Amino acid sequence: MGLALAVEPPVTAPVLEDQALIAAALQGHGEAFGELVTRYERAVYNLALRTLRDRTEAEDAAQEAFFKAYRALGSFRPGAKFSTWIFTICYRACCDRLAKRKRLSPDELPDRADPSAGPETLAERNDEACRLRAAIDALPEKYRAVITLYHLQGVQYEEIATVLNLPLGTVKTHLFRAKEQLRKVLTA
Amino acid sequence: MTHDEFDDLDRALAALPLEEPPAALRARIMAATVYRAAPEVHAWEVWLIGTLVACGAWLVWAVASAPRAGERLVDAVTQATASAGLTSDYTLLWLAVGVSTAWWISQLTFPSPPRKRIDAR
Repeated sequence: MGLALAVEPPVTAPVLEDQALIAAALQGHGEAFGELVTRYERAVYNLALRTLRDRTEAEDAAQEAFFKAYRALGSFRPGAKFSTWIFTICYRACCDRLAKRKRLSPDELPDRADPSAGPETLAERNDEACRLRAAIDALPEKYRAVITLYHLQGVQYEEIATVLNLPLGTVKTHLFRAKEQLRKVLTA
Repeated sequence: MTHDEFDDLDRALAALPLEEPPAALRARIMAATVYRAAPEVHAWEVWLIGTLVACGAWLVWAVASAPRAGERLVDAVTQATASAGLTSDYTLLWLAVGVSTAWWISQLTFPSPPRKRIDAR
């Protein structure tokens, strides 16, 4: 099923162009890396935001992802997709933060409680996008990550599997269950 | 599992706009990456200093662990002092005069010529 996704840069940006920017950045052209930041900043921030459900932490995680990517730019495999790579780095940074959060307050759930995710509040929301966002936020972390990447990358299961470091079958199962839960919440 | 039943949801997801990141995020990223100031000490300098310190420590240990190390060290220092002429009162006197002069010169202040102003770009 092909869908026109909301995220333009990661989906439509040709791989070769990203490769050229990476090559230029490696040669010391800072503006080339700046262009990569411009293209993926929004998607990376949204991935972090959906995973962490905290704006300040999402901002920090996005910055950390780009910082790590910049330092490891020389090890970027030619032919690979920059979007998949930066999403992987970002998702790992988010997982580290979630693990740290869990360590610091083991009694709490690893996910930060989001008051907007309650069914009462959800029902009050008229805006479709807000309702959908709230429904995504209410999903368990593993489903939230897969649905966010599905939103960002489209039906590229292999890419999602690479980012989440999960088998392809698990990604499909998680996606199916995530959609099932979303539909349940949205039609309630 | 079929995906047809999720058509509406897929459409809603596709139409869901991404949230705008904070305006300062890009600047923060650029400051942390491209515009990040070069470190005062490079990694290779740290390695070099570390290697030199390790070599020095090894040398000290090798000398100190040799048999009669203390005696031999004192002998070596005495010999070096004698061969440099530092046992002579006359040499020591001139050495003191030289050190005093150097210290006196270092305390003097001279008017510096006006510098050309370089505009910061």
